Amino acid sequence: MRRFWHTRELSTVAILALEAIVFTWYLWPEGGRAHPFLNGPNGLLILKYSSIYGIAAIGAAIVIISGGIDLAPGAVIALTSVVTGHLFVKSGWPLAPSVAAGLLTGAAAGLVSSWLIVRVGLPPFIATLGVMGIARGVAFIITEARYYDLSRTIPPGSRLLGVPVDWVAPVVMIAAACVFQFLMKRFQWGRAVFAIGGNETAAVFTGIAVGRVKTSVYVVAGLLASVSGIVLAVAQGQGKADLATGYELDIIASAVVGGASLAGGRGSVVGAVLGALIFGVLRNALPQIPGATFYDRLIVGLVVIVIVVLDQVLVRHER
Amino acid sequence: MADLEFRDVHKSFGAVRALGGVSFAVREGETHACVGENGAGKSTLLKIVAGILRADRGEILWRGAPLRVGSPHDALAVTDRVGRLDEPAMRSRAAALLDELHVPVSADRRMEHLSPAHVQLVQVARALAFDCRVLVLDEPTTSLTDAEATQLFGVLAALKARGVTILFVSHRLPEVFRLCDRITVLRDGHHIATFDREAATVDQVVRAMVGREPPGHVPRERPAGDARPALSVRDLVRRPRVNGVSFDVAAGEIVGVFGLVGSGRTELVETIFGLARPDAGSVDVHGHRLAPGAPASAIRSGVALVPEDRQRQGLFFNLSLGDNLALPGAALVSHRLIRRREERDGAASQIAALSIKAPGLQVTPDRLSGGNQQKVVVGKWLGIAPRVLLLDEPTKGVDIGAKYEIHNIIRREASRGMACLVASSDLPEVLALADRILVVRDGRLRGELSAVEADEERVMRLAAAPAEGPA
Repeated sequence: MRRFWHTRELSTVAILALEAIVFTWYLWPEGGRAHPFLNGPNGLLILKYSSIYGIAAIGAAIVIISGGIDLAPGAVIALTSVVTGHLFVKSGWPLAPSVAAGLLTGAAAGLVSSWLIVRVGLPPFIATLGVMGIARGVAFIITEARYYDLSRTIPPGSRLLGVPVDWVAPVVMIAAACVFQFLMKRFQWGRAVFAIGGNETAAVFTGIAVGRVKTSVYVVAGLLASVSGIVLAVAQGQGKADLATGYELDIIASAVVGGASLAGGRGSVVGAVLGALIFGVLRNALPQIPGATFYDRLIVGLVVIVIVVLDQVLVRHER
Repeated sequence: MADLEFRDVHKSFGAVRALGGVSFAVREGETHACVGENGAGKSTLLKIVAGILRADRGEILWRGAPLRVGSPHDALAVTDRVGRLDEPAMRSRAAALLDELHVPVSADRRMEHLSPAHVQLVQVARALAFDCRVLVLDEPTTSLTDAEATQLFGVLAALKARGVTILFVSHRLPEVFRLCDRITVLRDGHHIATFDREAATVDQVVRAMVGREPPGHVPRERPAGDARPALSVRDLVRRPRVNGVSFDVAAGEIVGVFGLVGSGRTELVETIFGLARPDAGSVDVHGHRLAPGAPASAIRSGVALVPEDRQRQGLFFNLSLGDNLALPGAALVSHRLIRRREERDGAASQIAALSIKAPGLQVTPDRLSGGNQQKVVVGKWLGIAPRVLLLDEPTKGVDIGAKYEIHNIIRREASRGMACLVASSDLPEVLALADRILVVRDGRLRGELSAVEADEERVMRLAAAPAEGPA
């Protein structure tokens, strides 16, 4: 039981629940009107928009656990939306190959990052900063300031593989979280990622294929970012080069709030998803509080600091 | 009369008990040594005296009255901090003090420009500056050469002549016997004995420290059988530290590689294991050529390396003991899914076989003592049942008890047919363990001695004296 309560994910769940309760109470409507926060459609909205961050945050958490950092996901999201939109709308490809090409773009961005890190020896911050610029730049070159309208071909209310289009993002996020939680906790690959993040020198001395594992980590992160890109493109009904600007920091923040340590070797995939939901709820509820409009970025910033400080105090307490 | 008296001092860090009721007295004006293995509790005791830590239970009496030390600020002189003596107002006083103690340092020098030895001496002199009555020193000679240590002892003798009580913590017995009037032995957080120097022998003190008789060289029967070499190194070059090395190790044989710091000893074993890509030469294991520069290939061929620095190269402090013990196996198995039960059984059997003291498989290695951490690094490799075991400084920084245990583990594995290569700069260790000793200097083998013909002098002569040429 002690172990159960010390599970890091559980404290993230507690923070999320506390947050939901506070907003439910604070936004309670007068005189029997519908609750602006606590209702089905709003819940789906939160889930849908959190998923865009959440799916990429799974990749960010894995990169951070391996001792690295990825600044590219925001730009990869935009590039993916542009590539898929271009092929689907402009070149008239069917949906499936267009999406596949978008996903390949994300994987390729990850491959370039990992090549710069593993082979060239650049620090992950610099390598992915460069890839971030390149991906965003390529997106602008392709679109030339236009955007691809996807809403006409994927109308709201349609279904993808039997799933209502609004539910695709949350379903993909939950599925990805399950798959990668399992890969990280029960597979040799996941343990190698933790080992490399904990002590890369010892990993080399233990015969772990450090270069190959790191490459896979950045490819996975790129791939998940491009999944976010597809999801965002479908949600907004467009592929655009300036989509998801600045998302990389929210994505990293989600992973960190979910327990990932930038020192490496510590973190959780499920935690990253919960972290994305914490921010999703904040971003949804704060604008509904009268007068809070200008405070929401400030509050989001404070929340990051408070949660991470709280986490460190708890870790220290356990020792 | 007792100047400083410890009464039933207890201190625990979480589940680890550092001091379990220590009582002894330091007499006024005497020089008192406190000795013990790593983890015996010496440093914890000193930190309590200095006010850095607080005892859980028990008290320290200072001339019969309880000593209340709230913070290091209130404490006696603990020469643990680097002081500065360069303020102009203090210059003449400082110069006089340094002169009185024959410390060959100008009062105008900045501390950062002093050698470690002179820093130590200045710290001791600083103790005099405020007329201290008790001086506590924690391993003051670890970073000093013999000549510098002699100088420090001269200063301490001068202090003693002035009636200063000195409590001296060390694990170097020769200096303890040279300097101290009485010797207190701690082991596992308990006071074992206090000896008068005149009445004690080094053997008595060592036995009290270790708690058992120290074994010497153990004659060992080599298993007969396969005469072909298990490990065969030919003309191995890794510039600039390995310059053409060839030798064989037979199955069941323990070969020592002795070399001083910088001799190429570590680079040699790391190149054999594939951590560095050789510029030339080859490594064969049971007739199978290893791929150059690929540790995973070496592991698959049955080669394991226990590295020199367990903290940096051996252990994952974010992973459980079970994971640490299971990780080398990942390079061998084809299945991608972790087999929990299999790993748990394997880890438990290593913990039992090496008698690793740990509260469970789930704890992280930082909860273990240095000796047990080292056994984990050995155990993680024994778990894959290697045919060739390379060990680099296998007992560096572990206490005497763990050292003997690790030596016995190596002997046991060799007697079961493992080829062991022990690289070490610890000469007694190499002499105690090896059937055959290879001496390295400047990246070349300078000689080979059998266990029978080897002694400290012959090995050292080969290792240290370039003028005499190779044997």
